[in-house]
Amino acid sequence: MGKGYKTIAFYPQRCDGCQKCVEACSEFHAGSTDPVHSRIKVVEAGGAFGLALCRQCGEPQCVMNCPAGALEKDTETGVIKWDRDRCVNCHICTLACPYAGITYNVVSEEVMKCDFCEGDPACVKACPLGALELKRGAEIFNEWAELEDLVVPGISACLGCNSELVLRHTLRRVGSNVVVATPPGCMAGVGTVGVNGKTGVKAPVFHPLLTNTAAMLAGAKRYYKRIGRDVTMIAFGGDGGTADVGFQSLSGAAERGEQMIYICVDNEGYMNTGVQRSSTTPYGAWTSTTPVGTVLRGKSRDAKPMPLLMVMHNCEYVATASTAFMEDYYRKLEKAIEAARRGMAYIHVFSPCPTGWRFPPSKLIEVGRKAVQTNIVPLWEYENRVGRIRFTHPVENPLPVAEYLSLIGKFRHLDEEQIAHIQAQTQRKIEVLKKFTSEQTTTTLHHAA
Amino acid sequence: MGKVIVCDGNEAAAWGVALARPDMVAVYPITPQSSLAEYISQFVADGIIKADLMDVEGEHSVLSVLQGAALAGARTFTASCGQGLAFMFEPYFRTPPLRLPIVMSIVTRDGITPQSVWGGQQDAMTVRETGWVHMHCENVQEVLDTVIMAFKIAEHRDVMLPVNVNHDGNYLSYGVEKVEVPDQEEVDVFLGEKNVNWHVALDPERPMGVDPLTGGAGGIGPSLFVKYRKGLCRGMQNALRVIEEVHREWGERFGRKWAPLVEEYRLDGADYAVVTIGSMSGAGKDAVDMARDEEGKRVGLIKMKTFRPFPRKALCEALSKVKAAGVVDRSVSFGWNSGPMYQEILSSMYFLSTPIPAISFIGGLAGADITVDHFRRVIDETQRVLEGGEVASEPIWLNEST
Amino acid sequence: MFHSKYLIVGASHAGLSALDAIRLIEPEGEVTLLCAESTPPYSPTILPYVVSGEVRAEEVFLRRSDRFERMGVRFEAGARVVSVQAGDHSVELESGEKWEYEKLLLATGAAPSIPRIEGLEGVSYHVLRTLEDAEKLRAAMSAAKEAIVLGAGLIGMHAAENMLKAGLKVRVVEALDQVLPAYFDPRGADLIERAFLEQGIEILTGERVEGVAQSGGRVELSLSSGKTLSGDLLLVSTGVKPRTEYLKGSGVEVEEGVVVDDRMRAGGVEDVWAAGDVAQARGFFGDSKRVNATVLSAVEQGRIAGMDMVGDSALQPYGGGMAVNTYTFFKHRAFSVGMGKVSESEDDFEVDQVYLPSSFCYQKLVFSGGYLVGASGINTELDPGVLYQLIRRKVNLEEEKGVFSAKPLEMGRVLMSQVWR
Repeated sequence: MGKGYKTIAFYPQRCDGCQKCVEACSEFHAGSTDPVHSRIKVVEAGGAFGLALCRQCGEPQCVMNCPAGALEKDTETGVIKWDRDRCVNCHICTLACPYAGITYNVVSEEVMKCDFCEGDPACVKACPLGALELKRGAEIFNEWAELEDLVVPGISACLGCNSELVLRHTLRRVGSNVVVATPPGCMAGVGTVGVNGKTGVKAPVFHPLLTNTAAMLAGAKRYYKRIGRDVTMIAFGGDGGTADVGFQSLSGAAERGEQMIYICVDNEGYMNTGVQRSSTTPYGAWTSTTPVGTVLRGKSRDAKPMPLLMVMHNCEYVATASTAFMEDYYRKLEKAIEAARRGMAYIHVFSPCPTGWRFPPSKLIEVGRKAVQTNIVPLWEYENRVGRIRFTHPVENPLPVAEYLSLIGKFRHLDEEQIAHIQAQTQRKIEVLKKFTSEQTTTTLHHAA
Repeated sequence: MGKVIVCDGNEAAAWGVALARPDMVAVYPITPQSSLAEYISQFVADGIIKADLMDVEGEHSVLSVLQGAALAGARTFTASCGQGLAFMFEPYFRTPPLRLPIVMSIVTRDGITPQSVWGGQQDAMTVRETGWVHMHCENVQEVLDTVIMAFKIAEHRDVMLPVNVNHDGNYLSYGVEKVEVPDQEEVDVFLGEKNVNWHVALDPERPMGVDPLTGGAGGIGPSLFVKYRKGLCRGMQNALRVIEEVHREWGERFGRKWAPLVEEYRLDGADYAVVTIGSMSGAGKDAVDMARDEEGKRVGLIKMKTFRPFPRKALCEALSKVKAAGVVDRSVSFGWNSGPMYQEILSSMYFLSTPIPAISFIGGLAGADITVDHFRRVIDETQRVLEGGEVASEPIWLNEST
Repeated sequence: MFHSKYLIVGASHAGLSALDAIRLIEPEGEVTLLCAESTPPYSPTILPYVVSGEVRAEEVFLRRSDRFERMGVRFEAGARVVSVQAGDHSVELESGEKWEYEKLLLATGAAPSIPRIEGLEGVSYHVLRTLEDAEKLRAAMSAAKEAIVLGAGLIGMHAAENMLKAGLKVRVVEALDQVLPAYFDPRGADLIERAFLEQGIEILTGERVEGVAQSGGRVELSLSSGKTLSGDLLLVSTGVKPRTEYLKGSGVEVEEGVVVDDRMRAGGVEDVWAAGDVAQARGFFGDSKRVNATVLSAVEQGRIAGMDMVGDSALQPYGGGMAVNTYTFFKHRAFSVGMGKVSESEDDFEVDQVYLPSSFCYQKLVFSGGYLVGASGINTELDPGVLYQLIRRKVNLEEEKGVFSAKPLEMGRVLMSQVWR
């Protein structure tokens, strides 16, 4: 199993080119602020900042191409170490590296590269604008990689399926002391419960009806409580099984405070049956039942604000999540597991669908990231005990929604007016959510309800 | 011996539930079942029923929570009827193939529209082809006894199917009689240890995929599907035997010997018979008694208790003793322009050496009473065809002019 | 009869790269690496540095000794393959041992290409392709006074420099009109040649060797110009050719090298792949298949072969090889990627050059359409890796070309920075 390590992430939009990182690096490695010694280089060209720095790659080309065996990835720290004694100064590493992560120092007359300053990079500490961050992102995978993947290999999801990603990660974290419900939809369609007598998940798993997921889990949970067994109930409902036809049973279960984790894998429509609209299909989106023609221009209504509705149900825990922000999702799962001991924990996972939305599978995470960066998908959580919404990844200066929309085929037809509508609605949604960040508003609304 | 109380059929059903010690009861009110839901809720509140009370948001979820609980291992009960049953239909017709031994009273109610809140067996008859066992009760005591027996039948390893215990809305739901409530200890012995999910479970200690996709155009799928279907049919046929065994044991333990499948009433020396179902049978028997004892008519009565699985053999045995039958339904088969029971009796006659003439009567719709006078007419009409009169292609609507 | 699911013949860059790719997907399947030499794996690229003494022969190995064990890989040193029976899925070793395989990778590299020169067969000369060669040459150098290097390619130029540093008088003979003809244009080559001349190395370009003779401990070369050269050490470094002699009669399609498709599958047979210096693969610029004997090609081809052998669905077909290299000499450094030799007079190309001979600097960028197609530099700050990626990823520079030409270092870094997450 591969291992995840720390990396230095660069946010060019925060950088002003002050070169403090470069000075700090030179200082640390050569006792001089002369940039010639810096392993990190921040350069400007064409109005943008670029970073030349070793990425401590997983499959490092410098290591693979070094004829002298002078470069090696440390399997503990992930840092690619350069061995001066073995290096013959042939510079093939500078040819192999795509990022100018290893460069020639004309003063020392040898190559040099980032060594992570013994784990605490000087450049990151020196950056006054937060343009460099020491990300521990991939590190969560070290921990979770040790846990069993409860989904069998070879399930029949489409290339780049986000739902599969959600399923595998969630079950890894939640573990096998569960009852897993996957109502009809993509989750079931990929073979989660199985086909013809063979199962797809190494845990108790079943197809509820599209309409009764929360109710069936509630029944099972109550019985386990009755006989004194602590078993976690978890649902992976699609948006149809959650916000449309399954809404009644979910609403009833939430009102009764049934103890379960309910995950809505929202791919914004009925992707499994051929891309029809659901109540979470966003405004303007093409689907096979909100087609684009001379009269109709995609969906004419905005999506149902499902997670907010669950907040109004007084759930123990409600959160939105995205697989582009996996650490955030894992943190929320932790809270959901804990909250599900007291009542309903609802997580609404934004789940872009390459097949149904018309974008290349390789863009899955980028779509997820852009959705958050534009505030199309704000990441937040609501803890009943805290009593208000908290943004877990606030986006103060969101990108224009067009940067998200343009990635996706189902929005290709949008005209300026429609894009303006989406921009306005996105803004409005954030304003409404912000109101719920005040305890007073949330409490008042609950009481009023 | 148990205690004797006076109660209506809905309360009697609730006492039956209490004695069966379910783990979970789910309720959602609908006329004329509502007081049953209320009795059960009160019994839970009073500690008489020590079960989880699932007061959920609709019949669809009522049955869904019970399915979840049963898959986890719970003994479960609910009750519904009419539109509630219609709303429940999606999980309802999935319960038998899941082989979950859930017990549910249908406090029978006529179908809308016209809007109606009164009795009639249209609901139960409409869902007869789903794989649930259907038993219809004649009186309040039989309601209580049958609810308890239903658990034993449903949970029998050769059956493993859900059971509907049907009692007529209005007449049995609200009709008050003296009943005997058996002792808990005796019922406990009668029912024995429950084990409702030995065959299919949602349990981390026995992980399995419940209900994988099965079928397709090729491969083993379709044959696997046939295997499941045949298994369900076998369970239904086994139920005929088990229902008889359980009724026999009940009679031996508690002294009340209910006819399990088909009751033959005064068929000895009868030339023709009235066929009844449910609470109308009381008035039917009175009318037969009068016709025989006072008028010397050679008429008897056949009562169907078990309608699903259809007790063809027992029914044919009864029919073989007579030469004409008048079949009284409390619901309508729109497709056959007759009562549904009538239509199925016609089908059964294929297995008789000589088919006999039979007339369809439909009565008691939308809360109407079926009186002794109505049965007089049934007896007269049946006698007419016995004597060679023509069998009309139309049913006779008993309440048409009352 | 031995058996291995995956059998890799050759243990340098291509073989090792394939091994890593196989192990990424299949941690347990049987993998065997057959190495013709009796040493652990090393790179031929390191050999000039062994000759110079910058690195000791026992320090050149590419894998720590326990590495194969940890990976569950069987490593067989001294296992030279002499024939392949593709139909039987087996190979035969010099020792007579037979190995059965399910999938076979030919990564046997190249051998020195010896020109046909009258008398050459009868004289003693050196080549530089194996560690043994390097050690012999190093030993010979300590006894010799006057060296002659035949061929001014990378190996020859490196060796010439090493021999000079070892105190020898060195002369280099090159048939073409410039040094390093595979990588540099005449202007770059002149600059490099100048550094050699300044150090006292004599370079004779445009000179073919007509004959070689030995008398006593000395060799004598008669050149096409009529000159004769004599020395007590002769190094023949006139290029390499794929090692394919063991494939005779195997059915494997061999032209210059083993002809492979874009998944490195060898032509003519089933379940055989080839990668590295032995393979004749697609050229990047749409040219015909050819052997591209560089470390980068070996690593990439090896990885693709390994991925295809193990059925890795992430495999991207080979995009084609191009000439790429770095070269350091007398404290100077040079690189060349892609079509760096294109002259500004050629149609369809735009060439940006910075030439500062006084400070020993030369930089050249070659564009075609909106795309960078080649670059070379001597003592420039450019990142060869970044430029190589801009070429092979076909990054359209149409809009940024002005900025790129003015600030190629910065713009290149900005562009590549943007592709990383």
